[in-house]
Amino acid sequence: MEQNYQQNPSLQQPPLTPPKNWLVESILVTILCCLPFGIAGIVFASQVNTKYAAGDYNGALQASKDAGKWTKIGFFVGIGVIILYMIWIFFIVGVAAFSSRYNF
Amino acid sequence: MYAPSKKSSTFFIITTAVPILVLLYSFVYPLYNQYFPKCFFYLLTGLHCPGCGSQRAIVSLLHGNFSDALHNNLLAVAALPLLIYSFIALCVNVFTKKIVRQKIFYNPLFVKVLLTIVIVFSVLRNIPSYPFNLLAPLQ
Repeated sequence: MEQNYQQNPSLQQPPLTPPKNWLVESILVTILCCLPFGIAGIVFASQVNTKYAAGDYNGALQASKDAGKWTKIGFFVGIGVIILYMIWIFFIVGVAAFSSRYNF
Repeated sequence: MYAPSKKSSTFFIITTAVPILVLLYSFVYPLYNQYFPKCFFYLLTGLHCPGCGSQRAIVSLLHGNFSDALHNNLLAVAALPLLIYSFIALCVNVFTKKIVRQKIFYNPLFVKVLLTIVIVFSVLRNIPSYPFNLLAPLQ
């Protein structure tokens, strides 16, 4: 089904359901990861809805891919920052333990 | 093509992660909050982004302090009903034969209003004078 639509978009009616717009995921990234990628995700989610409502299914599909891309970038950058932060904290705690042991 | 499906993997990830995070933020955060990750954007720029204070807002909510939660991040508290609605729809899709489509998230007007709210909120909370600094996170 999916490939059919992509290969022959003109031969068939657009599907009844809009492409995934990643809105809930973008809201989560905006609120929890505090990075601008979540806002980019919401912008593309808005484009998915507008283009689907205007009958531009392929445009909506492209916006859906972009929304997914930015949401995932935001999510993994957020996770990466948390991991780097934890490494940094372990480093500080390690240095503090080391220096208190040798009384520098 | 996105058809709402029975996404049980998403369901299991949420039902595993949320209780762990609730326990972590209820009992560990109050004792060791200096070791929890700070907002990266705030450390770099000194500006409050729309997500700043959401960690503290969730902790305040877990401790039943609703007004502190609203001060720390109004947007996070306001978004909670939407997230809960989305989770309930997911539960219905996983456990029953019905398939609930979350139509509000596919309404073009709703998303534009939401985007405007997020942008206006992130500008207003950085204005350092009286009615607007209520939106900035508590120190």
